[in-house]
Amino acid sequence: MAISADSKQVLKVKTVVKCMQCDYTQERDFQVGDFVLKLVGNCPKDNGPLYIAGIYAETLNQKK
Amino acid sequence: MSLIIVLAQASSQGSQNGAALAFSYIFYIFFIALLALSFFPGVQQKTQIMFLSRDVEQKLQMIENYLKDSKSITEKLLKEKGFPDPKAFLDRVIDRFVIDPVSIEPTDIINRMKLLMRSNEDTVREMIMSANPNLDPMTRSQIEISAEVVNALNLIFKVIRHYLIMAKKLNSIMIMYQLQMVAPIYVKYAEAYSKAQKVFLQGIPIGDGLGPLVASKFLMKSSQKFTVSKDTIAGTLEFEGRKLVVVKAEGPMATVGTPGEGVQNVIEREGGKVSRIITVDAALKLEGEETGTIAEGMGVAMGDPGPEKIAIERVAVKYGIPIDAVIVKMSMEEAITEMRKEVYQAADKVIDYVKRIILERTKPGSTVVLVGVGNTAGIAQ
Ligand SMILES: [Zn+2]
Repeated sequence: MAISADSKQVLKVKTVVKCMQCDYTQERDFQVGDFVLKLVGNCPKDNGPLYIAGIYAETLNQKK
Repeated sequence: MSLIIVLAQASSQGSQNGAALAFSYIFYIFFIALLALSFFPGVQQKTQIMFLSRDVEQKLQMIENYLKDSKSITEKLLKEKGFPDPKAFLDRVIDRFVIDPVSIEPTDIINRMKLLMRSNEDTVREMIMSANPNLDPMTRSQIEISAEVVNALNLIFKVIRHYLIMAKKLNSIMIMYQLQMVAPIYVKYAEAYSKAQKVFLQGIPIGDGLGPLVASKFLMKSSQKFTVSKDTIAGTLEFEGRKLVVVKAEGPMATVGTPGEGVQNVIEREGGKVSRIITVDAALKLEGEETGTIAEGMGVAMGDPGPEKIAIERVAVKYGIPIDAVIVKMSMEEAITEMRKEVYQAADKVIDYVKRIILERTKPGSTVVLVGVGNTAGIAQ
């Protein structure tokens, strides 16, 4: 079974914020206190509720 | 061969003064003695053991550093959260153990195992809450995880150290060889555990959170949610004329919940009239496989020692319900540290898989249970 991730990865954690009513999507750096489905204010487009749709880590040093 | 060359070179240099000659003689004698010695049985082995043990000691040192690091992080956390004596608390949990139930009498092992595991969890939880009764569930789960990490690292460290000392005492090259083979793997495990603790303390979802993430995307559309078992929540929604009951651990605390018991309760509540159980979980990939690839199959996708998994299998057998499994592959480290982008993106594809399974294998009007298995840290519902 694969134990470790490939190579020494430098990870950057991102938070994806989406609107419940329209297709507004915003990506920002992760802040402590964020969790998936947390409500984080209103949409600048149609004032609908914004929620955190996902939190993920991106590799910065990919040599592809 | 090299000896002859050295001798030849020395003789070609011819006339030299006495001291230099004496020195070169001593040198030859030393050289020949060393050569002869290395042919004696035992000497070679001794030197080999020496080199092997140095290598293992170095690995052990790395594991110890991870352990110390994790201990100091935990101690700091406990101090911040108002524990009167963090060190004493840590000393109590570091060597905590659960004894396996008797297995030579194979009746009811699962129930005994479940009792032991559950009561252990409850006891640790009570220990934490009695030290500071005002802790919020999020912090409590972080302390539980930290205690588990320290406990695991301590065990790895002590076992490797045990075999190292034993190999030295017995002068056994075979134990040393085996140790040298497995030590790097355990260094990797220790590193992954230590990274995982830091991720949990920030509240970032981990790779194993894939199941709960998929479940939460369904539960978003559910208006009624209820607790079905310890740390586990369910919600109902309608999908293409089917009633869909979604089960996941209660987030965003760092817990895996009790999905097995949860599913069992849900199905009993439905009177057994469920036409399909779909389990979604993260799975360990093999070296060479891509992170985030999806596979589907049959059975309960769950990395559980037994009690939760068997609860689903038993209720499924009782009512004759087929169990589908959808898994997303990742490495061990990726499963317990920050959720990678590939895994996050796989969640949407898994939802399509689940929807397709429901449309292909169930009829409108039937009830389907979907379980998102995994640690729900950083994922609410
Ligand atoms: Zn909007």
